[in-house]
Amino acid sequence: MIKVNDLTFQYPNGTPVLRQINFHIRPGEFVALIGQNGTGKTTLLKHFNALLKPSSGSVQVAGIDTRKSTTGELAKKVGYLFQNPDHQIFMPTVEKEISFGPGNLHLSKEEVKARTLEAASQVALSEYLKENPLFLSKGQRQRVAFASLLSMKPEIMVLDEPTTGQDYQEGIQIMEMVKKLHYEGHTIIFVTHDMELVARYAQRVIVLNRGQVLLDAATREVFYHPEELMKTNLFPPQIAQLAQKLKTNRPDLDNVLSVEDLYQELIRLEEDKANVCCG
Amino acid sequence: MSAVANYLPRNTWIHRLNPLTKMLWSIILMTLSFLYRDPIILAVLFLSIALVAYMAGILKEMLPAFKGLLIFAGIFLLFQIFFITEGKVLFYVIPGTKILPITDEGIFGSLAMGARLMVIAASFPVLLGTTQVKDLVIMLVEKIKIPYTYAFMFITSLRFVPTFMQEMEQIVQAQCSRGHRLENRNLIRKFFSLCPLAIPLMITSVKKAEQLAISMETRGFGLGSRTYLHQIQFRAIDWGISLGMLGMVALSVYLNLQGIFQ
Repeated sequence: MIKVNDLTFQYPNGTPVLRQINFHIRPGEFVALIGQNGTGKTTLLKHFNALLKPSSGSVQVAGIDTRKSTTGELAKKVGYLFQNPDHQIFMPTVEKEISFGPGNLHLSKEEVKARTLEAASQVALSEYLKENPLFLSKGQRQRVAFASLLSMKPEIMVLDEPTTGQDYQEGIQIMEMVKKLHYEGHTIIFVTHDMELVARYAQRVIVLNRGQVLLDAATREVFYHPEELMKTNLFPPQIAQLAQKLKTNRPDLDNVLSVEDLYQELIRLEEDKANVCCG
Repeated sequence: MSAVANYLPRNTWIHRLNPLTKMLWSIILMTLSFLYRDPIILAVLFLSIALVAYMAGILKEMLPAFKGLLIFAGIFLLFQIFFITEGKVLFYVIPGTKILPITDEGIFGSLAMGARLMVIAASFPVLLGTTQVKDLVIMLVEKIKIPYTYAFMFITSLRFVPTFMQEMEQIVQAQCSRGHRLENRNLIRKFFSLCPLAIPLMITSVKKAEQLAISMETRGFGLGSRTYLHQIQFRAIDWGISLGMLGMVALSVYLNLQGIFQ
């Protein structure tokens, strides 16, 4: 779905940001992009809808070379959620705000209306359709921004810190929504600093360090490389740290990412032990 | 655009002059440009500005601004030339008819207008290029007794230009990601295509101003008279140059009244 080949990017003043980045994201993947601030996460994301174009190397999105396309054209394929919803909200009602995107896609009036209602209900904002988005809370505004992408029905969703400014509950709600979209077949790439969210939702993790890919593997793998993660000041979620410690005594413990998994694993190991004793 | 109003640090005596001296220079140029209506004298005045920029080592950086002014003055001149119909008719724009006469007064007058425009506008980038805005503001507050609140407003508005430009870039990117197209030939459509950009910018700006006001009040803004870290002196050279310039103005006004220089 997204093919990044030897991507190098530097700003016109010559500051290199991304160096020699290579990876493929297949359709239907759920990928977390993590790393410290200033390592180029957002810069990388902006290559996925041609807001930025590679200095060298190439980025292909849904078979389209981004250098030969524009952000406007790619908007049909890629939905991009920005960190700050206030950079995009301009309509007097939530409904109009959400329908702005599909309106740009030359759809019929009925289709735009249907998509708007659907997207609003997906983010639990159906009751707020006639409200002015400026008077909503930060979390709700973020959801308005999210709905305005959903209404465009892009195959790929690029989410730059979708849960910032949300409390725990709201953050989980947003991620549950994203998870549902993932079940429906969307490809998801999201940036976050919350390792718990990564452990809970992502299937694959790409760790960026100083403009280069440090690690790129399944979430279970990545969080069991604490030394590598330390290089960029990241720490695995506590449950993974605990499991890692337990592993020194029980090497056959599986890589787990949740309390429930660890509990099941410990029971399994106990049972195995009991079986060995009795057998 | 940003280069026009930026401070360009150099180590020249013009940079070291008191900001008030340089402001006086700017005001005097403006006064003189209204005093004269001879395009040649006005051109000399303009050249004197370029000479000051050269001595301050910033002429190269000023050239784009001067070039822009020249184009603007040219357009101004083209409009003006048709509106002055006094004087001897030299020729008509459309030969053989009496439409759009060009007169000697017209050429003379519009040249003077263009040159005057350039003199008035050209001194500001030189002033801002050789003077740190904060020094200028301190002098305005301390010596001219402008209320600090107003001076602060001025300095803050300059300070926020680059911030808003960054903000604008973010907004353009956000709206393009939603399939918004900016390029449009139809003028009315073009206007409406700017709304998705202008409205978020306005709203975020107002929010930012509110936050700034709160954060300043929490740090004691408006408690009373302030003290400044940097003290700027009005030195002998400043007195010398200021008095010299004022003397020259007095002389020009006198000569002008006598009818020697027009």
